[in-house]
Amino acid sequence: MWEITQGLLGGFSAALKPLYLFYALAGTILGTITGVLPGLGPLGAMAILLSFTLKMDATAAMILFAGIYYGAMYGGSTTSILLNIPGEAASVVTCIDGYQMAQKGRAGAALTVAAVGSFIAGTISILGLTVVALYLSDIALRFGPSEFLAIGVCGLMFLIRMTGGSLLQSLIMTLIGMTLGTVGIDFLTGAERFTYGINDLGQGIEFLPVAMGIFGIAEVLLSVQETAVPKKAQKVPLKELLPTRIEWKRSIPSMFRGSVMGFFMGLVPGPSPIISTFVSYFTEKRLSKHPGEFGHGAIEAVAGPEAANNAAVGGAYVPLFALGIPFTPAMAMVLGTLMLHGLTPGPNLMKEKADLFWVVIASMYIGNFMLIVLNLPLVNVFVNILRVPQRILMPVIVLLCLIGVYSVNASLLDLLLLAIFGFIGYVLRQAGFQVAPLILALVIGPMIETSLRQALKISGGNLAEVVFRPISLSLYVATLLCFTVPLVLKWTRRRRG
Amino acid sequence: MDQKAYRKQILISLALIGFSLFYFLSSLHLKMGTPRNMGPGFVPAMLGVLLLVSTGFHLIRVYRARPSEEEIESSPKKAKNYWAVAGILASTAAYPLILETVKFIAATFLVGFFMLLLWKPRKFFLSFLFSLGMAVGCFFLFSRFFGVALPSGFLETLLFRIGA
Repeated sequence: MWEITQGLLGGFSAALKPLYLFYALAGTILGTITGVLPGLGPLGAMAILLSFTLKMDATAAMILFAGIYYGAMYGGSTTSILLNIPGEAASVVTCIDGYQMAQKGRAGAALTVAAVGSFIAGTISILGLTVVALYLSDIALRFGPSEFLAIGVCGLMFLIRMTGGSLLQSLIMTLIGMTLGTVGIDFLTGAERFTYGINDLGQGIEFLPVAMGIFGIAEVLLSVQETAVPKKAQKVPLKELLPTRIEWKRSIPSMFRGSVMGFFMGLVPGPSPIISTFVSYFTEKRLSKHPGEFGHGAIEAVAGPEAANNAAVGGAYVPLFALGIPFTPAMAMVLGTLMLHGLTPGPNLMKEKADLFWVVIASMYIGNFMLIVLNLPLVNVFVNILRVPQRILMPVIVLLCLIGVYSVNASLLDLLLLAIFGFIGYVLRQAGFQVAPLILALVIGPMIETSLRQALKISGGNLAEVVFRPISLSLYVATLLCFTVPLVLKWTRRRRG
Repeated sequence: MDQKAYRKQILISLALIGFSLFYFLSSLHLKMGTPRNMGPGFVPAMLGVLLLVSTGFHLIRVYRARPSEEEIESSPKKAKNYWAVAGILASTAAYPLILETVKFIAATFLVGFFMLLLWKPRKFFLSFLFSLGMAVGCFFLFSRFFGVALPSGFLETLLFRIGA
């Protein structure tokens, strides 16, 4: 406990420096903007800004990205409530009842409940992150290659299960991501793999052009192919922002439930912010005294899911900080940033660079506070961003992606890869493939291969010794159950008719 | 799913199988090693086999999901701006090809101008001004603020000196 208090105090004293405050503010504003703009989620924003962070120190980059992630979750709810357009995938559920509330003239109340819910959830999840990450990192220091192999494999398997859509398609994306991770010089033997005489490929396929292509360029391509006319948002006067007493009474328990649920869902690999909103919605519906109002403007249906998606963000940071393994694509982006700064996340980083961890935690509190103070009064300003014509916004995004990728390595190959992966991402996403597993597998793949080869070397080639270790075995069993239990349940339900 | 979408799915599945096959065959040129001492080709070969099997299954699944006549007729037809998509892709691919030759400002201006014209061909002068401003603005932002060494010629050196 003393360690946490001391760390937090140190973190706050550093995070309150003007420069870090500026990055926290910039992150929350940029995040809100990307959340408001349909299509361009936190992933796209992070991908575009990844190269910008190179000139910052690692702490500033982390603060910026945390702000973007939180801000996007909040910004997504604004357009969901006012326009029935989910600015972000995790805000789809908010559209159902949030927009209905707006139609009944309660848009201000819905926005305030979403903002307060996000703030409470953010605070709870940061507390959870602080405690869980610290203890988990202590345990993780005792992990060997077999355990890291199990975490990597099971993480990917969970991701395939939870991503949604076809399991087979997610598996293919994961395998392609892993194949991309094998390109370059083999670190154990020094042999060149799949470089085909291109010297620049010796370093491997960089994470940045792949991520920016698949999320940045592909997103732009998907946006420009649609010829939809933008909707006009209603204005929300400041005096209408305050919910009634009954609305507070109904929404506060939902916020706390959503926060706890969201945090724990964030610990599971997969698109946890999205899944947590659905779980929270159905839980609230089941627990509500007014289930008939759900779908017609129930305030619990806004409070719970909005709290859940924000809490999941904090939860998603736990495996990254404690184990060095990203369980969501956004965390893969954060991992990529840390690696670009020469840092490898994991239990060692938390011990050796504890100041970075604490400053990021402290700035998350500050960022959350900024979100609630700034965003509610400025809600009309953010909604007006939707008026920026696509014909200006899209070329700017493409140019930022191009220059951003070039600025990292000054490599023309990276630019070509950006174009290629932009096209691949566009085609795959149009065909219904979820590309998130690809990007995660590209990051985790090399770690899995290293751990497998090291573990087999240590065990003298005995695979049983690698698998049948307490932690590894429990993880493999949990993964197996995750795949088999739904099948068994489905089968028994079918048998019962 | 309409006929066009079905054909697209088949093409994607075939491309995936092609990639898997190419990757698997390439991995066979690498040393495999033993389970105790895995060579650089062991994991890629394993991945290649898994990828081949799963893309094969995918092709079968897609092939069997051929839409019926009714489905083809009832599927909604959406107007899509494929010209804009092709234009953006072409500019993204062209940028690395012209960057070293015409240098940063000209390359950024050309690509930006082309993309702006794709949407509003009539606003020629506005697009010209906006893309020029964007190229110069990006140059200052990246070279001065972020300290990135961008491909520079006469114009860039001049602007850099003026900015200093």
